[in-house]
Amino acid sequence: MSIFAMDWYLIALLMFIGFYCMLASRSIVRQLIGLEIVSKAAMLTVISAGALTANLVMAQALLITMIVIEVVVVAAGLALLVKAFRVNGNADIWKLDGLKG
Amino acid sequence: MTYHNLLFTLAVLFALWAVMAKKLLTSAIMLALVSVTVSLIFFNLGAPWAGVFELSVCAGLITVLFIGAVSLIRSTEEKHPESRAPFYALPLAAAIFAIAGWFYLPAFFDELASWRRLADGSGTIGTALWDLRRPDLLGQVLMLAAGVFVIKSVFPRRTEK
Repeated sequence: MSIFAMDWYLIALLMFIGFYCMLASRSIVRQLIGLEIVSKAAMLTVISAGALTANLVMAQALLITMIVIEVVVVAAGLALLVKAFRVNGNADIWKLDGLKG
Repeated sequence: MTYHNLLFTLAVLFALWAVMAKKLLTSAIMLALVSVTVSLIFFNLGAPWAGVFELSVCAGLITVLFIGAVSLIRSTEEKHPESRAPFYALPLAAAIFAIAGWFYLPAFFDELASWRRLADGSGTIGTALWDLRRPDLLGQVLMLAAGVFVIKSVFPRRTEK
């Protein structure tokens, strides 16, 4: 087994943990934590694939873009969390049914 | 090789801890440790720029954002904690995934790695970022502007009628 196969196996495990967190939890904070873990796994895959194909320069340029997008997504998610918390009084995703018809 | 695998294993363990921690603050700190480990992996793989960005932005800025948000909602979360049962099942589920995946995933990933096409690997990160991928920079600026706009529209200034 090559070293990259072992890396990607552990990355798959990391991604599974992130998805499990997003599926099992009802708290918005934990949803975002799961999203962060999944995006960490995606970043590791990008850099690992860059190292595999000897193209780390492009992989790093792509990764910097990914990090910027991730920060904006998390900041927007946390802003929505604080707003939802002020309106509903809790951070439960099942209570976010204000637009339900 | 051993250091490399140790870092990956540590990242998985910190992620498990972040998901299973009872307190949200512990989760946020463990997430920062996942980021630190991931940035060490980047340095180890020979990607120092990615490591620096990961360390400063993900381990620094995002952790501060998480801790700020958690401190705002902590009192209510502690009064009405969510059910812990699905999280106690996580190690079991992860172990089942790891054992089941061990028979299929490494062989598949070896096959995937054999399809690689080597690049010439030349150039610097400056050339890639400022010459080859200049439209990305425009996208990043627009993305940051979108983030500022979201914060501005989520928390509008209240006007007295």
